[in-house]
Amino acid sequence: MSSAARAAVAAGATVPGDGSPAPSGPARRATPQRVRSVSGFVSVIAAAVIWIALLGPVIALVTHLSWAAIRSSLTAPGALDPLVVSVESGAVTLAVLLLLGTPLAWLMARGRLPFPRVWEAGVLCSLLLPPLVIGLLLIFMVGPYTPIGELLGHLNLSATNTFLALCIAEVYESAPYYVLSAQAAFGGVDPRLEQQAQLLGDRPLRAFRRVTLPLATPGLAMGLSVAWARAMGAFGAVIIIAYHPFGIPLQIYTTLQETGLASALPFALVLLVVALPLPLAAYVWSARAERRRRG
Amino acid sequence: MLNADVEVDRRDFTVRAAVQVAPGERLALFGPSGAGKTTVLEAIAGLVTPRLGRITLGGRVLTSTELRQAVPPWERRVGLLRQDPGLFPHLSVRANLAYGRPVPEPELAELAGLLGVGDLLPVMPARLSGGQAHRVALGRLLLAHCDALLLDEPYTGLDAGLRRALTDLVVSLVVARDMPAVLVTHELADAQAFAGQLAILDRGQLLQLGAPDEVVLRPASRRVAELVGYLGFVPVTPVTVAGIHPERTLAGAHPGRGVVLTGAITGCRPAGAGWEADVRVADTVIICRLPDKPPAGGQFVVTVLDPPYFGPDGAAVPAARPEQVCG
Repeated sequence: MSSAARAAVAAGATVPGDGSPAPSGPARRATPQRVRSVSGFVSVIAAAVIWIALLGPVIALVTHLSWAAIRSSLTAPGALDPLVVSVESGAVTLAVLLLLGTPLAWLMARGRLPFPRVWEAGVLCSLLLPPLVIGLLLIFMVGPYTPIGELLGHLNLSATNTFLALCIAEVYESAPYYVLSAQAAFGGVDPRLEQQAQLLGDRPLRAFRRVTLPLATPGLAMGLSVAWARAMGAFGAVIIIAYHPFGIPLQIYTTLQETGLASALPFALVLLVVALPLPLAAYVWSARAERRRRG
Repeated sequence: MLNADVEVDRRDFTVRAAVQVAPGERLALFGPSGAGKTTVLEAIAGLVTPRLGRITLGGRVLTSTELRQAVPPWERRVGLLRQDPGLFPHLSVRANLAYGRPVPEPELAELAGLLGVGDLLPVMPARLSGGQAHRVALGRLLLAHCDALLLDEPYTGLDAGLRRALTDLVVSLVVARDMPAVLVTHELADAQAFAGQLAILDRGQLLQLGAPDEVVLRPASRRVAELVGYLGFVPVTPVTVAGIHPERTLAGAHPGRGVVLTGAITGCRPAGAGWEADVRVADTVIICRLPDKPPAGGQFVVTVLDPPYFGPDGAAVPAARPEQVCG
């Protein structure tokens, strides 16, 4: 091999007529780089495909709606009553989750409960059961001929086909999303920070309010907004136990049954418009809180 | 005065410690990892409950198992600084410093200036370096008006210069504020730089308590000697061994200053600004720190300066040293 060829080999080139592949560093490094760039390209394509696929129904909804259909569907007498029902029941559901789900999530995150796996499994059960099945089981649990149903009857309440029933169904459908998110949010707060706050003079509740809660709030907000979206869209359990009063999902279903797809679509848009802003706001707020924390 | 005499049950052993620290004094708890040092601090801070014992601070009884009394952590006025400074990440440096109580701006600015974080008051903790975060955490404890300062390996992970600077800062503040302070560390140099008293803890037992130089030069037992850096034990009589600390060796024979050992060099490497040599003496390899590189091969004579002696039970015994030991 000539000295020029040796220099070329040293520089990483293949020597013409040499026969053997150049054993140089740069040539070996080029392959992983190319692989990385190819894998990166494939990843971006895959991400774009799944993103568009997930967004597909929303795109279909927007492209198949006309202003005339929206106007005629939403201006009919009582057309927006289901929206009011859904918003009211969703608000009650969130209040119940905040009051009861937050302490449960905190206790689970801090390992303060005996047999912690059993508690987690209990929360997961309502996540794993199909909503329709939850509805059926709720009939056996709070229906009019059950002890709980009879107790409610004494109070002039009923847990079937009432606003209460709608709230119960929505709580069951949305609770695991909030509790598990809140558990993760509390779990992300270092218990030593709470300890430090106590050593600086805070009683446990005050330390929770000044340290744990602010640090967990972005996660709690995300969990709550996902629970809100689930509550607004609750259908499976609702159709079994709370056919009346109509919320938006049932309005969509009955409109679809009675007058067809075109009339149901405007209500789907309403559901989207009502359910989506809270999760989006929570996301934007969480991102801003994180940026502020990073200074 | 901080007075703690406690027994705390752990899963593997019981930690027993009795320490007294006067206002303005500093005590270092030194020992290997898992010896129970942090447990003692946590008992003082009220984070763990002793099975038996009594802790008082400035005349206040913080814990007394006899009286069934335990003041909760938030009423103890005891500051604890850990390796992780534990700054609240959602609060600025200013809010962190003033967390314990509302602090007038001049007081806050003065202490921040003293700690060298005066320009960082609006900054969030995520933007601070390790040293800055420790200074802020220290300032937070001081502004909260703690009556005692507990430091749990606070300098781990910081470079040597910063450790020394922070140690000097803490010592000056503790003395100026006349508060007792306890440092937990497994670095002897940190303990010596900080403390007026050194306590050696091993597997929950307080092995020795005394002035740092006294503990290091006159360890009470062979175990204490091992913990403070004695790396070789050479038999000098049938029942007595001399403890050899690498940094207390001199090349050559100086009979008036200690025990003269003769052995063969089996290894040699640079160490800091000098050299570290392995010398085989009477079936034992000792390590010597020397300013100059020792000659290769042949017999090497080294003087061990005034070594401690230990009997067969490991306890220190009075010096009955021979003049020379040959390998």
